[in-house]
Amino acid sequence: MTYQPLNLGRWIIWGGAALLFAAAPHLFPGGFALTMLTQMGVMILFALSYNMLLGQGGMLSFGHAVYSGLGAYVTVHALNQIGAGTFYLPVPLLPLVGGIAGLAFGLLFGYVTTKRAGTTFALISLGIGEMVFACVLMFPGFFGGEAGISTNRMVGQPFLGLTFGPGIQVYYLVALWCFLGMAGMFALTQTPLGRMANAVRDNPERAEFVGYNTRHVRFLQLVLSSFFAGVSGALSCINFEIVSAENVSAIRSGGVLLATFIGGVPFFFGPVIGAIVFVFFIVALSGFTKAWLLYLGLFFVLIVVYAPGGIASLILMQFPVIRAGRWRELALPYALAALAGLVALAGLIGLVEMVYRLSDQGVSTVLQLLGMSFDARSAPPWIAFGAILAAGLASLRAAARRVGERWGAIQLELQAQAAA
Amino acid sequence: MEFFLVQTLNGISYGLLLFMLSSGLTLVFSLMGVLNFAHASFYMLGAYFAFQVSAKIGFWPALVAAPLLVGAIGMLVERWGLRQVHKHGHVAELLFTFGLAYLIEEAVHLIWGRSAVEYRVPAELDGPLFRIIGSQYPIYRGFMMLVSVTVLVTIWLALTRTRIGLVIQAALTHPQTVEALGHNVPRVFMLVFGGGCALAGLAGVIGGNAFVTEPGMAAAVGPIIFVIVVVGGMGSLAGAFVASLLIGCMQTFAVSLDWSLAGIKISQVAPVLPYLLMVLLLIFRPKGLMGTREG
Amino acid sequence: MKSAIELRDVHKSFGTTKIIFGVSLQIREGERHAIIGPNGAGKSTLFNLISGRYEVSAGRILLHGADITNLQPFEINRKGLSRSFQVTNIFHNMSVYENVRCGVLWPAGYRYSFWHRVGGLRDVRQRAEEVMERIGLARRRNTLAGTLTYAEQRALEIGVTIAGGASVVLLDEPTAGMSRTETAQVVELIRSVTEGRTLVMVEHHMGVVFNLADRISVLVYGELLATGTPEEIRANPAVQEAYLGALHKEAARADGSHA
Repeated sequence: MTYQPLNLGRWIIWGGAALLFAAAPHLFPGGFALTMLTQMGVMILFALSYNMLLGQGGMLSFGHAVYSGLGAYVTVHALNQIGAGTFYLPVPLLPLVGGIAGLAFGLLFGYVTTKRAGTTFALISLGIGEMVFACVLMFPGFFGGEAGISTNRMVGQPFLGLTFGPGIQVYYLVALWCFLGMAGMFALTQTPLGRMANAVRDNPERAEFVGYNTRHVRFLQLVLSSFFAGVSGALSCINFEIVSAENVSAIRSGGVLLATFIGGVPFFFGPVIGAIVFVFFIVALSGFTKAWLLYLGLFFVLIVVYAPGGIASLILMQFPVIRAGRWRELALPYALAALAGLVALAGLIGLVEMVYRLSDQGVSTVLQLLGMSFDARSAPPWIAFGAILAAGLASLRAAARRVGERWGAIQLELQAQAAA
Repeated sequence: MEFFLVQTLNGISYGLLLFMLSSGLTLVFSLMGVLNFAHASFYMLGAYFAFQVSAKIGFWPALVAAPLLVGAIGMLVERWGLRQVHKHGHVAELLFTFGLAYLIEEAVHLIWGRSAVEYRVPAELDGPLFRIIGSQYPIYRGFMMLVSVTVLVTIWLALTRTRIGLVIQAALTHPQTVEALGHNVPRVFMLVFGGGCALAGLAGVIGGNAFVTEPGMAAAVGPIIFVIVVVGGMGSLAGAFVASLLIGCMQTFAVSLDWSLAGIKISQVAPVLPYLLMVLLLIFRPKGLMGTREG
Repeated sequence: MKSAIELRDVHKSFGTTKIIFGVSLQIREGERHAIIGPNGAGKSTLFNLISGRYEVSAGRILLHGADITNLQPFEINRKGLSRSFQVTNIFHNMSVYENVRCGVLWPAGYRYSFWHRVGGLRDVRQRAEEVMERIGLARRRNTLAGTLTYAEQRALEIGVTIAGGASVVLLDEPTAGMSRTETAQVVELIRSVTEGRTLVMVEHHMGVVFNLADRISVLVYGELLATGTPEEIRANPAVQEAYLGALHKEAARADGSHA
């Protein structure tokens, strides 16, 4: 990123984002879509806060759910206190409570985790996460044990006529905070601390020799990030009206890592894409198949191996080609690769689902797919799906080579043009 | 007194098991700079393979076959996975193994289900080894210790006395020089990675039936061995050994003691202790017990 | 005259290997001081000790009379000592402008601020523009540092080092690997950017050393052989015998001057 004065393009992007937040429930009507959109808003905030560590500060954390989860626990108690009449705060301001709680725990645990960088930081963050998870189960008085603590968001006086009973009101609350959080986190990237976090990520040694204590930079970055994580935790508490040990678990921490990385760590907006894809995987796919985590994991591994810049990098890569008017040459190779990918995916899905049918928990060994049924105990479907997978992979390989050749040729020509 | 003795023996056998896991992890880390997040998943695979093999042919063949199988999978992972992401740096490698841990856990869910499987201690190793006054000590615990010590001593001898061991040791510190001398360093990496996985698999074979074989076992043991690596000092085998025994004994004693402090039983606090140890160590001795590098 | 840097009987060993044996040295404020010596004499190690990269085994180091022994690099930097590296050490994924700005932010007082918009800091921008102008990279401001030519990267390295306005500047082989014209340019650059500051440099190129330095120290196998003006060093028989003779002939052959 280079220095730019506040420009028109930036206003258009942010204006567009605000508009999208406002219009989304009308573009995708229906209760199911609304639930999904609300969860996406919460996840976007969480993933962006995670990327303050991984993308901007070079800190791979395996325990980020600690801050969102503890923020959520404090929020649930605050909400219950409001309900009991011992404390008053308008519900829309509750995310601040979560944020401050997240920040406080960031101060506490961040002091330990940011003592080290790199792989050791990753392991310590994992250890802290496990410790907090164990503690949550150990003190059921405050944390409510396995079952967690439930609450009711429709308490106190209606705020400006809002009761937060209907889902749409919760959505707009989430959308507002998500937008504010996005703006806040983007603003942070433009501050001295934000820039030095990048410097520490790229070359910690040099940063020390221009006067910066790299440990302190990491610490502050983590504390700020845990504020936004806490806000997202509070929003999830308001949305689900329950907070349990799962909120601070390694599963949550791993989830946000997956979402952020899939979206694209090097770009500020990458995690937004990742969060949307991730929630779609969870909410939409988990209804269809029990193996959705396997598909998500496979998708993640593919991204790590073939596109470490995430989906965002794949999209951004196309822009220079589109601008040069050369995208049409790529359309056919892309379409072929997509087709081959779909064939391979179909084969894979068939195999995975049959394995699942064979294992004990399957209701029946018969797999229903696209109106056809296959019995996992007989050999033919195994051979068929195996053949489809193999054919798909082989043609994907060929198609990918074709894309690569075309792509390389276009890049060379564009470079030659730029040099001339 | 006999309680103390038996618990110490239990602690040592658990600690040795942990060291079988953490030594492979440490060796791979110092050699390749890769922290294998899926290390505990290979432990789990070892247990499940042993369950499957011992159900079909018996425990003794499983003791050999399962670790070999796990080691072979590890080599495949190194050759076709890790080596591909190597160019993107260590964070990408760590993330790759993180994704792998996910995949292995889900695959176990799919194939063997979500609840524990009945992987039992074989009949010939079931029963008490000796009795002291009231307490008895199971044969299987003794067997575990025997296996771990034998394997660890063999590995130590192989590393210090054989040609390949010397190449590995040299590649730990000077990979370029070793490469220049005509050794195939990528193959050394693949062998060591596979070896580390096989070791984890063997730990799974002997640990899976001593404790419990279930899909959550990787997620339960993983963080503990990572803590051991941090506490011992990143990349230090001696540190990992001390930390393994320390945490093994600490856990064993904490679970079995019924003292209580401020209304909380020690046994309840047990799961937190390793992490607490890590936090304290990081505050007072950030390099780890025997670590040399910081950062 | 006050000393900018003072070393008092400084020792350094790695394990059992001793690298620096009791070096004592005073570098005056405002002088340009060169440290020369054969390869492996411990010149870079001395730099790493002064700048806090390594811990001192024994002895004391003072900066403007204040003890800085075994402080962290960033603490020493904040006290007004800045250094460059022999192997280019810049932020490769940042633009030239951002690299220079990294060197400006702390001394300009913005420290860990997360309430200033960095683009709006006029003093920082001005200072960074000045530095880029001086190192001749103003037109490359938006280029990623990693894609600059080698000579440009070396210039940027000096730019990042002097950007903060440190009173003492340590340059580690600033002309290493450069062509003759490039070297001449760098000498002029160093002369101009260290005006009014204390400069300490490690340099192999004798032409550069005798051209730039007010005083020279000769380090041989971890011990200080002599310190003095270029004339004194040239005339010193011990130096000639131990080191300079051979090197001087070499330099004369390469340069054709400074015979």
